[in-house]
Formats: sequence, structure tokens, C-alpha cells
Amino acid sequence: MSAPNCLRGLVRPSATIPISAPRSAAPRAAPIGLARPAPFSTTALNARRQDPNQQGGGGKGHVRQGKKLKLGKFKKTAVESKGKPPLPGERRAYRKRITLSNDNAIPVPWLKDIGADGLANAQNIARVLALPEEVQDQLRASEAFKPTQCWGMFRKPSLLVRKESVDLMNRIQTSVDNKQTLRLVVTGDKVTGKSMMLLQAQAHAFLNNWIVIHVPEGQELTTACTEYAPIPNTDPVQYMQPVYILKLLQSIKRANEKILAKTYTMTGHPELPQNITPNTPLLALCNAAKEPDSAWPVFQALWNELTAHGTAANRPPILLSLDGLAHVMRVSDYRSPAFERIHSHDLALVRLFTDTLGGAVQFPAGGAVLAATSRNNAPRSPSMELSLAQREAEQAKREEVPQKDPFFRGYDDRVEAVLRSVQVIRLGGVSKLEARALMEYWAASGMLRATVDEKAVTEKWTLAGSGVLGEMERAALLTMRI
Amino acid sequence: MASPANFLRLCLRTSRPLSNLRTAAVQQSTLRRQLSTTQWRPAPSQDEAANQEAQDEFDRVFRNPGEFLKTLVRDENVPDEERQLAMRMLDDWKKVPPDMQRQFDRLTEEVDQESARLRRPVQPKRDSFWNTEEADSDLITSEIGEDDFEEDDIMALGHAKLEEHREFREYARIAVWEMPLLSKLAKPFQPPAEDEVLRFRYTTYLGEFHPADRKVVVEFCPRDLPLTEPQQLKLKKLAGARYNPEKDIIKISCERFEHQAQNKRYLGDLVDKMIATAKDPTDMFEDIPLDLRHHKVKPQVKFPKEWYLTEQRKKELEARRQQALLLDEQKRTEGTLVDGVQTIQQALLTMKAVEETVPVLRGRSPRGRR
Repeated sequence: MSAPNCLRGLVRPSATIPISAPRSAAPRAAPIGLARPAPFSTTALNARRQDPNQQGGGGKGHVRQGKKLKLGKFKKTAVESKGKPPLPGERRAYRKRITLSNDNAIPVPWLKDIGADGLANAQNIARVLALPEEVQDQLRASEAFKPTQCWGMFRKPSLLVRKESVDLMNRIQTSVDNKQTLRLVVTGDKVTGKSMMLLQAQAHAFLNNWIVIHVPEGQELTTACTEYAPIPNTDPVQYMQPVYILKLLQSIKRANEKILAKTYTMTGHPELPQNITPNTPLLALCNAAKEPDSAWPVFQALWNELTAHGTAANRPPILLSLDGLAHVMRVSDYRSPAFERIHSHDLALVRLFTDTLGGAVQFPAGGAVLAATSRNNAPRSPSMELSLAQREAEQAKREEVPQKDPFFRGYDDRVEAVLRSVQVIRLGGVSKLEARALMEYWAASGMLRATVDEKAVTEKWTLAGSGVLGEMERAALLTMRI
Repeated sequence: MASPANFLRLCLRTSRPLSNLRTAAVQQSTLRRQLSTTQWRPAPSQDEAANQEAQDEFDRVFRNPGEFLKTLVRDENVPDEERQLAMRMLDDWKKVPPDMQRQFDRLTEEVDQESARLRRPVQPKRDSFWNTEEADSDLITSEIGEDDFEEDDIMALGHAKLEEHREFREYARIAVWEMPLLSKLAKPFQPPAEDEVLRFRYTTYLGEFHPADRKVVVEFCPRDLPLTEPQQLKLKKLAGARYNPEKDIIKISCERFEHQAQNKRYLGDLVDKMIATAKDPTDMFEDIPLDLRHHKVKPQVKFPKEWYLTEQRKKELEARRQQALLLDEQKRTEGTLVDGVQTIQQALLTMKAVEETVPVLRGRSPRGRR
């Protein structure tokens, strides 16, 4: 070994010294005190004056001396930073925030709160009703409100009761009365109020003290944006999403606190981290999940308790709902250990939902499984589209039921099995009467500066493609024309 | 003025036979040669000897009828009757006075000399650009010296114009006098009979050679054939992309062979074969669905009947509007009509009243706050 290398052995290792570079000539030639390895150069090494601030070695690399070659003709001058950049997640939180009231809006004097059967009453068709404070909190906890909806413009969140919503609530109510499970998919064109229909169903459920489990976005489960892990002892292998399930458990707990406190477990759950004995409130069971690791077993225990038969009198009806159905009706973006894509129905939570939608699980006290399709953010799912079209044609007793294209490869049997016997509600535009009620509400809130007469209503109704609600909002509410 | 050679060429132009050209083209297209550096040469035909003889006959120029008759008499292939006739004609020729005979010789020589240029084969120059130097034989006038005015006649262009007029008038005469006579040849339309299922389509380019004139197309509807339902379905599956589900017609074309008749025969045989296969019960293709991916059905959008503004509809709409107006008026008198602007103004008035009651901190006058 040469002398410099021997000497280097005595120096205490630090980030400034190249640890092993026996072959490079530069370190050998350089004095030991020189911190950085010399850059590649044909000129002799000139010992630069060491900047005491740069002694740390990190940060800026080689600085070229002399004239610099400018490559671009027009160089952008560096923009001086204006203040602190937003913290991670801050922008998203701003984007996704939900404002439910506007103090500048004028309170509508004739606005009434929804009663327990307010949404199922046919007399309320074409009326705007307000959500009670308590239900607002519950709906917010279950993430039923969406940032794209115009809640932030009015004094109080209120709903337009449509013909379809009364129809849906009646169907749900009938199935609950008969202790059956309604399985239904809400579909329709863009901005026709599909998510709003789910929200109305949830409001109805909260008003009647049912338990609501709501998955606000199907895509959060399948676009590989949350953690996943295989569930041991399952064949074929299923996957849990612990972080998401913990979040869901917490939202279930917050939304249904009162009812869960009054419902008790039937069996003990010794396998959970916190030993749950029989006759414990379900709220305590929910509280047992403190960490993602225990989320899935707790959720499964809760699900088993809720769907346990034989104690029908003690169990409340359940509403299970999901928005963005197309995302859970396809092969997910998750990969198995063999790097094959996992089918969405192999994800435990999705499977739980699809099994219920397919009719494999019946709620003891009845209830409903609702799913809403999305039009703006939806992957193509040919099987789902075909199945829904078929169900619709069958329900309308049309002569021509659409058939599979025998030469198309993209169909999915599992999806078809799930959607074989669901009911379908197709949403379209509202009637002129409903449009008028809505526009009167807007005008009374001071958000529409016009006289709401037949002419104005017809104008907006026609502009909105025969009363598509989102388009009516766009035409009347969201314009800057005053 | 046009030279005699050009004049002759103009005369010849109309009577130029096209058949040689056509056969040459056909020969060329059918012969697919391998890549080779040697020049292409047609294979010698069967009756080469006869051909050669005919060629000789054309090549040799007789100066007068006497010479021609002499060779005819000497020829061994000529039958006896013709030879005797030729001998008689030769005797007659010998009786013609010698200056007349010499005149004949001179005339033949002159024509021969003048037409020598024409008979020479025209070969495109090697280094010419698109054969620009070549005279265009399709022009009515010869291009050479046509602008020279020699004060004895109108210009060549004028002659050409006159010729054009003559042509127009000829066709006009045909249209007026001869065309009406064609109606005598018209036959009444007979719809195809029950057993005439196949419909053939041919193409003609009015005698001109065209690569597509051999193409034959056959169309038929599987329902017209004496087949059962499953057999018809099998026939449709056999036809593949040639089946049109919208018209329910199978359409097959053929231009594989050189002549129309051959192509038609092939199509007829093919249809027979298809029918025989469709009737064959060993494999009815039940596991294969009918493939219609080749055919996109274009939806025919029509104006809805309900949208037509008939008198009745107009009245209906008018009544509805009237009713709506009445309803609005009634609401206005009742005071239940919601007006956005009014609501805002009222709200602003009430809000001012609220503002006045803002509490002020003790010990400070309102002026001091400013």
C-alpha cells in the first residue's frame, strides 16, 4: 500500500472523504486535507482556497470557472419565492374542503326540515327541504357531501325532493318493512344527481336510525393509492386494505354513534386485540381498532355482528352504499406477489360489497345496498354497462334486451354474476315543476337575480338539456352574469 | 400546309386496328417473369411459319399489279382456280400500254418514298424527358408548320375547327334520325323468376381495354335459395365478410381470370359449392356465432314525428303557454312569485338594521374608534 492510503486509514471516516477509491488517480495525488475529489480535468490540480462554509462537503458541486456557455437563448430568470410554499396535503385539503353554509346567503323563510318520512312522502315531490343539523354532521362524517356540489352557496344544506327520490325511498322502506335487502344501482347521464340520490338515501337512513356504511369513492379502493396486504388463510388469496378500513371504521363510528351504542354484540371476539365479550356495545367494538393492523379483524367482527341472523329485533336496518361503481367492477391496479393484477373482487372490502350487491348476504333487519355509477370519472367496464342495460330493458319489459357481443373479449363473468339481479334506476332531467321549486329556492336565497316565472324556468330547463340538474346549476347559478 | 406524309397518317389514324395493342397488353400482364437482366421476348407462337409468310407479304412492295400477279402465278400454295384467274388478269395487264405501266411504277415509288417515314417504327429517345419530342398523333392538326400562311387556303386550325363541326353535326344527325329507331329494339322489363336467384354484374368500357373489364360480381339473398333456416345460417357464416346483414345479401366478386366468362363460371361454381357445403349436415357450425364485425350499422336519424309543428300542435303549445302565463299572473297578484332581486334588496334593508346594534366597547366613544 502507498503512503497516502496508509495515512487515510488513520483518518476518522466522514462524509467528506471518499471511502474507497483505490483505482482513481486523483485522490492519490491530492493532499489528504483536500476534502473533495478533484473533478475530471486535464489541467494540473490547483489547490483552491477552501471556503470555511463549504467545508461540510454537502450541497453544491463543481463550479465551473471562466466564461459559461449559455445553451438556451432565452434563459428564464429564477422566480423569487414569494412566501412559504403550502405544506404537504394542504392544497388537497383546500381542494377537497366542504363548506356547508354561507352566512351571506339569505335564509329562506319557508324552508322546513326533513322529517323521518319526508323523503318517502309523495306530497313532498317538487319541494325543497333542509337537512337537520344532526343529520348534516352524520352525512359529513360518512363523507356523503362532495366538493363539486354547490352546498357552500346557501345558508343551510337543503335537498330537492324528486319523483325518483320518493320512488327510491319507498322501495327501500318497503324492503326494510319486509326485512329484505334491496339491491339497486343508480345510473344516469352526467350531473343528473346520482351521488345526490345516494345522499338522500343516507339522509333517509339517518333520519330513521339505520346504520349507514358508505364508501365515498370506489376508486380509492382500486387505484392502488392505499396500502394492501394479503389476508392469511384465504384461498383464493384476498387482500385487505388496513389504512382505508381504519378510516372507514372511524367514519362509521362517527356517523352512527348513537345506534352503535345501543346495539350489542351477540358473541365474544377473543381474537381481537381488545377482548370483546358478548353484550358489549358495537361502539366499543369499533373503538377496538386503534391501528391499521387490527382494522380488518375489527371490521370483519363488526360486519359479522351486524349481519348475524336470529336477533332481528335488536339489529337496526343497514344501508350500504358506494359511489363510482365502475371502479370496483374491473381489474384493480394492485399487483399480486406474482406481479399479476388483482381483480377488484379479490379485495376483501370490495368483495364484501359486491357479495351483498349480488345477493349473497341478507341483512337481518332488512336494508339496502345502493351503488351509483359515475360518468366523469369512470373506467370502461363493458360487462357493467351491458348488465345495467340488460336489467333496465328487463325492468321496462322491452322486447329487445341487449345481448353480449360474441366476438368481444373484454367481458368479465364476475361482474355479470354480481349484477345479474339488481334493480336499476336511471336518472334524467327533472320535471318543470321540480325545476321551478329549485329555482325559487335559489332566488329566495339571493343566488338567482331573476323573477322565477314560467318563462325563466322554461329557459333554464331547456338550456339544461330538459332539466339536467347540474346543467341547470351551471346555467343559472354558477354564471357570473348578474 | 400539311405534308403528304402527315395527310396519309391522318387518313390512317381512324382505321388503325386496336386488336394488336390489346393482345400485347394481355400477354404482358399474364406473363409474370422472374427478375432478370435479359430483355423480355414473347414466346414464339404456334403458327410461326404462317405468321412469317404473312409478314413477308406485307414487307415486299410490288411496283405494279403485273409483279403481284406474277408472284401469285408462281406460288405453289395458290389453288388452281385462283391461278387461272391470275393468269387471265396477267394477260390483260400485258395489254396495257407501256407508259401507263411506267406511270404505275412511278406512283408506287412516290408513295413508297413518302410513306417510308411512317413505316419506320417510332422509338422513344433514350435521354428524352417524357418523350416530349414525339409528335402527338392524337392532335387534329399536325404541329409542324401549321402557322405558316400560304394565302391559298384557311389555316390548319381552321380546318380542324371545321372538322370538329362536321363531327358535331354527324352526331346530331345520329341523335335525331337514328337514335329514335333504337326504341324499336327495347324489351319490356321482366322481373327475375323464382329460380333466377343470382344477379351478376359485368363491367364494359365500350370495347376499350381496361384491367377491370374482366371483373364479375354476383349477389344473392340466402333466403331465396331452397335451404332450411340452419342451412341458411351456415351459408351466411361461410360467406364471412361478404354477407351484408342490413340488406341480407351475399356479394362475391371475381377478377382472377383473364376473361369475363371464366370469372363468371368460377363464381357460379363457387356458389354451387357453398350451397352444397351449407347442406352438408356433418358440421353445422353451431358453436360459432354469426360474425358481423365487418359491418357497421349506421343509425338513420330522422326528425321525430312529434316535433313537427302542425296546426294542432301549435294550438296545444299556445294553450299551454297561456295557462302558464295565467298561473304566473295569479301568483303575482297573490304575492307568492319569487323575485331574486327584490329578495336581495329586502335582505339588505334588514341587514342594515342589524348592523346598527353592533355593541361598542365600554369607555370608548364611537368617534374614538375611527
